[in-house]
Amino acid sequence: MNLDFSQIVPYIPFMLEGIWATLKFVFFAIILGSILGTLLALFKIGSIKPLRWFADAYTSIFRGTPLILQLMIIYFSTPQLTGYDISAFLSAILAFGLNSSAYISEIIRAGIQAVDKGQTEAAQALGVPYRSMMKDIILPQALKNILPALMNEFITLTKESAIVSTIGYLDLMRRAQVVGADLFRNFEPLLFVGFIYWCLVMGLTMIGRVFERRLKQSD
Amino acid sequence: MINVQNLYKKFGTNEVLSDISATVKKGEVVSIIGPSGSGKSTFLRCLNLLEVPTDGTIEINGKSLTASNKNIHKIRQEIGMVFQHFHLFPHLTVLENLTYAPIKAKGIKKAEAELKARLLLERVGLSEKEKAYPNSLSGGQKQRVAIARALAMEPELMLFDEPTSALDPEMVKEVLDVMKDLAQSGMTMVVVTHEMGFAREVADRVLFLDHGVLVEEGQPVEFFSNPKTERAKDFLDKVL
Repeated sequence: MNLDFSQIVPYIPFMLEGIWATLKFVFFAIILGSILGTLLALFKIGSIKPLRWFADAYTSIFRGTPLILQLMIIYFSTPQLTGYDISAFLSAILAFGLNSSAYISEIIRAGIQAVDKGQTEAAQALGVPYRSMMKDIILPQALKNILPALMNEFITLTKESAIVSTIGYLDLMRRAQVVGADLFRNFEPLLFVGFIYWCLVMGLTMIGRVFERRLKQSD
Repeated sequence: MINVQNLYKKFGTNEVLSDISATVKKGEVVSIIGPSGSGKSTFLRCLNLLEVPTDGTIEINGKSLTASNKNIHKIRQEIGMVFQHFHLFPHLTVLENLTYAPIKAKGIKKAEAELKARLLLERVGLSEKEKAYPNSLSGGQKQRVAIARALAMEPELMLFDEPTSALDPEMVKEVLDVMKDLAQSGMTMVVVTHEMGFAREVADRVLFLDHGVLVEEGQPVEFFSNPKTERAKDFLDKVL
């Protein structure tokens, strides 16, 4: 077997920098996806019809087309259409954030609808305004139920982030390819970043468990 | 205090309430009784617009509930409601359950809200539970907290929707005692109940509903010993 990990040693710092590059845009994409997803979920359960249509159409488009296509459209068509030279970093945040929000909105919608209707009625009977009720009463309870599904989505996003290598963003994946091309050996660098991805996902899983435990306080 | 005129409520084509008119005076305790499916809960829920009436008018303290929904939050703040299944906020402690609405909906300061909440917990005999979460309480304790939570908004009127129906028999008394105490303090109360003992002892007036129609109303002594209508007689024969 022709395996020699010693050859990638000089490239390890270069590849490790990819962790930061990946985490940076994944972090912002998760934030964008969560905020937008929550808004879309509220549109979907709300009583304003145009907003409901918008949220449904949005979800159908972003779930119905490949993520890599969305990424390329944002990266390549923005300069063509507007003249603005969008960076790979910003394209990645937008594509992943917008795409993820479609999935997150469905998760949150299901979570909200699973909260006992009596909670809404109790808050209404106390004269609590809709906004406060959603923020303080309904969403915290929904969050507890959907946390595992939400963590799933964040893990998927972290792994699928490797797609940004196709627009030349120097993330973990792209760096493994660069090293592979330099060395004429692909297996070792790919295995190396594969291990890093696994570590990142394990980290996320652990954070999720801590949150879950904290939310279970009231049981 | 409450003035209901020609109230109708339909769910689809199903008429649940039919031409109900009733009034409740300040300080009065009114019990609503009737067979299940008679519309008594729906009637109660119309009184704070948890159900929107199909037709008719409801006035609380001279303010129309049915005219416009703009100030519905403000009006609801003056009407306390206690549910059959408590509906406490499970992710908040007992004390937070009591202080949440006064702070958020009325803008009362936290320290002041907590002071009042502690007094109310004392009144319902649950001072030692203020840091507990609802899931650790018994049914009777939950319902007493729910009553205290409604009272924390300092309502002028309290609605009770079968407050003891979901309780184990040995816990019914502790809740009824709190309600009796409340009635004696002069609170205006409308109580949907299966507790005929409570209706007879505590209520000033009894409304008897059947199939969405207000069949009979009267003083409890009169009503229970000598019902005027055949339907009320049938019902009382079954439950007493």
